[in-house]
Amino acid sequence: MNTHKYIIPLLGTVLLFSCKKFLDVAPRDAVSDETAAVITDGTSAANAVRGLYRGIAADGYYGTTFQAIGYLSGDNIVWTGSQSIVQQFISHNVRADNASIATAWSAIYAVINRANHIITEVPTVTDPSLTPALKNQYTGEGYFARALGYFDLARTWGGVQITLTPTVTAQDKYGIKRSTLQQTYAQVLSDLVAADSLLPETTNRVRATRKTVWALRARYHLYRQEWANAVTYASKLIDDPSYTLLSPYSAWFANNVTGTAESVFEMSYSTTYPNTHRNSWQPPANNGTRQWAPNDAFLALVNDPTIGGSRSALVAKTSAGLWYGNLYYRPNPATDPSYVIRIAELYLIRAEARAQLNDLNGALSDLDAVRTRAGLGHSEAATKENILLAIENERRLEFAFEPHRWFDLVRTGRAAAVLNVTNPDRLLMPVPASEVLNDKDLDQNHGY
Amino acid sequence: MSWLALLPLITYAQSENNSNITLSGVVIDAQTKTPLPGATIHLKNTTHDGVTNDKGEFNFLTGQKLPITFQLTYIGYKQAEITVNQRTNIVLALEAANTQLNDVVVVGYGTQQRKSLISSIAKVTAADVKDIPVAGVDAQLQGKAAGVQINSNTGVPGDGVFIRVRGATSINASNDPLYVVDGVFINNTSLQTVNTGGRATSPIADINPADIESIEVLKDASATAIYGSRGANGVVIITTKRGKYGSKPTINFNTSHGWAWAPQLWDLTTGPEHATIVNEFYRNSEQDAIAAGDQAGITKYAQLPFRSVASGGRGLPEEQKTYDRLGELFRTGALHNYNLSLQGGTQTNKYYLGAGYQQQEADIRPINFNRASLKFNFDQKIGDHVQVGTSNSIYRTYRNQARSGDGPQGGLLQSALHTPTYLPELNPDGTPARYAGFDNLQVLIDNYDVHSTSLRYIGNIYAEAELLPDLKFRTSWSLDYNHYDESEYWNNLTQLGAAPTNGLATSALTQNTTWINEQTLNYRKTFDGKHTLGVLLGNTLQSNIQSTTSAQGSGFPSNDFKLISAAATRTADQEWTKATLASFFGRIDYNYAGKYFVEVSARADGSSRFGQHHQFGYFPAIGGAWRLKEEPFLKNVNTISDLKLRASYGLTGNQNGIGNFAAQGLWSGGAGYPETSGSSDQAGIYPLQLSNPDLKWEKTSQVNVGVDLGLFNDRLGIEVNLYSKNTTDALLQLPVNAISGFNTYYANAGKVGNKGYEVAITSINVRNKHFTWQTNFNISGNSNKIKELPVPVTYYNRDWVRLQQGYSMYSFWLYKQLYVDPQTGNAVFEDVNKDGQITTADRQIMGSAIPKFFGGINNNFTYGPFDLGIAFSFQYGNDVYNLNRFFGEGGGTRDANRVLFADQLKRWQKPGDITDVPRVTAYGNNYTLEQSSRFLEDGSFLKLSSLSFGYNLPKSLISKAGFQNVRLYFIGSNLLILKKYSGPDPEINVTSLQNVQGLDLGTPPQPRTVQFGVNVTL
Repeated sequence: MNTHKYIIPLLGTVLLFSCKKFLDVAPRDAVSDETAAVITDGTSAANAVRGLYRGIAADGYYGTTFQAIGYLSGDNIVWTGSQSIVQQFISHNVRADNASIATAWSAIYAVINRANHIITEVPTVTDPSLTPALKNQYTGEGYFARALGYFDLARTWGGVQITLTPTVTAQDKYGIKRSTLQQTYAQVLSDLVAADSLLPETTNRVRATRKTVWALRARYHLYRQEWANAVTYASKLIDDPSYTLLSPYSAWFANNVTGTAESVFEMSYSTTYPNTHRNSWQPPANNGTRQWAPNDAFLALVNDPTIGGSRSALVAKTSAGLWYGNLYYRPNPATDPSYVIRIAELYLIRAEARAQLNDLNGALSDLDAVRTRAGLGHSEAATKENILLAIENERRLEFAFEPHRWFDLVRTGRAAAVLNVTNPDRLLMPVPASEVLNDKDLDQNHGY
Repeated sequence: MSWLALLPLITYAQSENNSNITLSGVVIDAQTKTPLPGATIHLKNTTHDGVTNDKGEFNFLTGQKLPITFQLTYIGYKQAEITVNQRTNIVLALEAANTQLNDVVVVGYGTQQRKSLISSIAKVTAADVKDIPVAGVDAQLQGKAAGVQINSNTGVPGDGVFIRVRGATSINASNDPLYVVDGVFINNTSLQTVNTGGRATSPIADINPADIESIEVLKDASATAIYGSRGANGVVIITTKRGKYGSKPTINFNTSHGWAWAPQLWDLTTGPEHATIVNEFYRNSEQDAIAAGDQAGITKYAQLPFRSVASGGRGLPEEQKTYDRLGELFRTGALHNYNLSLQGGTQTNKYYLGAGYQQQEADIRPINFNRASLKFNFDQKIGDHVQVGTSNSIYRTYRNQARSGDGPQGGLLQSALHTPTYLPELNPDGTPARYAGFDNLQVLIDNYDVHSTSLRYIGNIYAEAELLPDLKFRTSWSLDYNHYDESEYWNNLTQLGAAPTNGLATSALTQNTTWINEQTLNYRKTFDGKHTLGVLLGNTLQSNIQSTTSAQGSGFPSNDFKLISAAATRTADQEWTKATLASFFGRIDYNYAGKYFVEVSARADGSSRFGQHHQFGYFPAIGGAWRLKEEPFLKNVNTISDLKLRASYGLTGNQNGIGNFAAQGLWSGGAGYPETSGSSDQAGIYPLQLSNPDLKWEKTSQVNVGVDLGLFNDRLGIEVNLYSKNTTDALLQLPVNAISGFNTYYANAGKVGNKGYEVAITSINVRNKHFTWQTNFNISGNSNKIKELPVPVTYYNRDWVRLQQGYSMYSFWLYKQLYVDPQTGNAVFEDVNKDGQITTADRQIMGSAIPKFFGGINNNFTYGPFDLGIAFSFQYGNDVYNLNRFFGEGGGTRDANRVLFADQLKRWQKPGDITDVPRVTAYGNNYTLEQSSRFLEDGSFLKLSSLSFGYNLPKSLISKAGFQNVRLYFIGSNLLILKKYSGPDPEINVTSLQNVQGLDLGTPPQPRTVQFGVNVTL
């Protein structure tokens, strides 16, 4: 038998087959970052920045969850669906194992990690196509996103853990204690200042520019009760002809419009990246779940022509008589933008800051600008207290389905009076129980 | 224990003494020359019958003249007719038949005789399962193999089957055994992408059971370690039918037809009963609202919903009608089977050609399953030392899929079962009515358009050469290719496709390709007649690629347009993933005089899935056996025909079930965003996954000890195994703190233990010329425990299921309802932490879907031309969480949104009522604490899994027509079930998620079936 003379060497060859190469398999819809950083040239830097915005637009952040925490915790919404965790926000009794809390927390920190990659890696790229101007722009966008992230964390949970470096291994981010609220806000300001110095002074409603930074900064100073700065930064936008209050009220969202002059910063969606927010609002007749809906008290206000004015366009009624919120409505594809900052907010920021600075006429003129646009007459408030109350009530209607009401009442100390939240511990959301369990340096908020 | 009654009733005939001339001798084994006690002897053309004594001797007194023809029958030996010409010292030699001891068992990369087997392997032959009328061979094995727990998840033919060989070892990696068909490692992960409410198809159902010769389940480490990284969950080796050298062509045609229907459905309230309970709920809630000073509640519950129509209500309770939707959904399904085969061979080649077609309708509309198969096996000898061959199977499996489990939209059973019975099917204007987010049942049944077609090829080619007299080389190339084509179309009458969506279509094409190249060198030689040495060396290269391309369209011009090209909005998606495995393995076995056996095996597996640091895993095993029967002290003990002690220890691995790129740090594409408002998206990337270069093989060590005992010349065979399995370095998706920007990463953490026993008894109770009765019985118990888990993990919405250190897998996480207070009617829950409140901290692990023991009892009788088979399977001590009841006993809290089950009528109504169904109210914990132990039920069952009756037509009648055999038969399945469970069938599960077991929600129960058939051999 001669065959074995050939077969044995053949077998040997097969056995010596280069296993290393055979076992080296890479995915095709992702790249590995194990041997080198992924951001290495102009194109990858641009890609990473777009991925950053997609992160802000994600379901867990400005897509749905984070926004919902802000408006559900106010007093405009009633729970009408099957998920009882929604009710926890409405009744201000959020438990630490609430899934929405964990989702939003993770989604915000995912954006911060993406921003950290950009802030750390883009400046070190040497690629002629990445001009110094672009490099500054991308890095500035990273700083803006990180500022937004820490701002939202601070106003929802208080002082949080601060991380400023990209995460490389699973162990990277252990051993970090929570910062104080002061320190967290200080980080927000420092990132805003950095972004301000890097970004171009252009108008772009879906990405951050210097103007977007000013708008967020106006809100920041309002939260920090730094009234003069709030006025300064709000004025920068209000004085800019690129931003105007559109009339009627629905002009900034109805009829499938996007990127209107009302909008300072909104997140963009498309057929490929739809916005699922409508599913929670729209009734089954429109193929939604109507997980939550405007409550009777709010309906009474918004449908009162002397209070709601043209803002009644925010709600609609099915043929069966069910009221539903109609800010997020685009069926197919679901490309409703997520509204982060509108010019109306800057008017009301300046109104409030001016009132606090006792510039009552200035305050009233800003308040009336928003009222006039809604088809209402001038405010009859005269004293500082009444003007502040009028602004508070105006904001309730103006931003009914945007994440403001809860944060407004918390920052002004009015949550107890308006929402009957008498336990001060309930003014902060609980840190997700799963995170506290998993990170011994992360302390739970008091009272949870 | 009732099964004791089924232990053998051994009957011995007495030899007759009625004549005057002695006729004596001995019956021996032709090979070993040992005497055979208990052999049955009949003198041809006489009435003389006898049985050999314990020395194998016989002694007749007869006047018969020489020559005399002896007809001999003996269990385990071929029947013989021997003519002799002497009266004394007659020696009659019998050839051993294919007895269990001489039975050839397929092991990894080879075969062994059962008597020299060291490892624990359960063998099931085609004959054992031919009468189980389910689509897949996986489901057929239930109750047939000790240590193998098999549960059909649903009553849908071809659906996923839950299989655990000696318990579940893993948490995030797969727990399914490895399937090897004719040496091809086949895919057993469902390729389904459409949502059918949690159900998943079983890829094993592609295989036509009629083509299968035998199935071996390898259980202990010494058997499975040769499969290294994939052996930890056991190995199921499927051998398909082949021809025989030198046999004439045989044609077999088998067809059966029958019906399938659901044996029992749910008891629901009538319309008036539903209304009464909801009104009571309002009355009680108003009372409680007043007590709590809840103004909103007082307003909300002030008016009863079921009051007269005139006063704005839904009508008084007694005015309500009752609508039966279940009757519309459930049907008697038709079953049709056709199988045709041709097999035979010449001196140098052999062939098997098989074709089959099966059609099975589920017991609910419109689900059905169709499979067409073609099989061709061929082997050719080239000269004296070389053999080449091929195995080929092509399967086409068509399924009419429908959503039946979880999820309201498009869900058949939710629409039929969960819609309150008082609600009419039609609106007053005659249009179909929809309630509670469910589709209209009739509209759904009429418009369901979801189906899948699986095209699959499994085959290999091999060449085998005898290099030296005792050294064989074999090389083979194998392929498992599966093309899975799914399409879904929801027209505008269904909820998913209703305006504003205006029709929703999905098409998904998935391809799964595995190729394997394998070489083995096999050496076996016996020295000095005493020492037998076997050596096996081999290597394998394997590559698997799975890709899916899917497209979705919505916004169709009308219901006449069904293709995505007609849709206004279209999106597409593509996925691709690949894994490779390179392995080297070897085995040395040695035995001394068939008495002492020892075997050592090892495998090295390199996987592309793991980090550079741990690409290769090494899996050794050692086993030994001592066949006491061969020792002098037992050699002549005739009652004991076999006694063998076995022990083995080894290490196996697991890498299945985790992502192919789980160890790599990845940035993903697919995060596009525009540059400016209104412009289109441009590409974007983001960090997707953290790397873990230390990710490595999950390892399971297993100790097995066993004893094989044969009594009364193997008429009674007993196999007992005890085992302990320990899994370490469990592959886990561990949480990472979210501030990192990630939620989880793959790591090795966690330990799982399994301990258990298996007993298998085979008994030939009666065997004589006319009548045989054989009993197979097996029982197994497995105790599972999660020994280490860094953080508890919960599963399924509302976290019904929880994995927690110190408890078994598949445990439920519930609030324990202690009783309903007879005075107040309030449910009292156990306050575990004694803080006076019932909070999440009071939820506890309760019950488990793991049975305490399970098994099967099979009895087969033949009487002349008749045969009867009765197979029971049983399971004891497992729990089922009845989610149907959870939704159906909401006490009115879900009002018009959910049905009320008849059990709800047992609610507490007045002080002194003793019941476990609390007072109906919106307040307190009675109906708001969702995870109540009230719905946890005992899932034990005993099922008559199959009953078959056959009749072989007399040879005299059929041989003239040229037939060799014609058998007419009847098969019934699930004709009887004993259970405590309140639902139709405790053997049920809503989801194919591997860590969720025993959740019953909207899943069609297993049907009862009867079939009539004919099997013709030419």
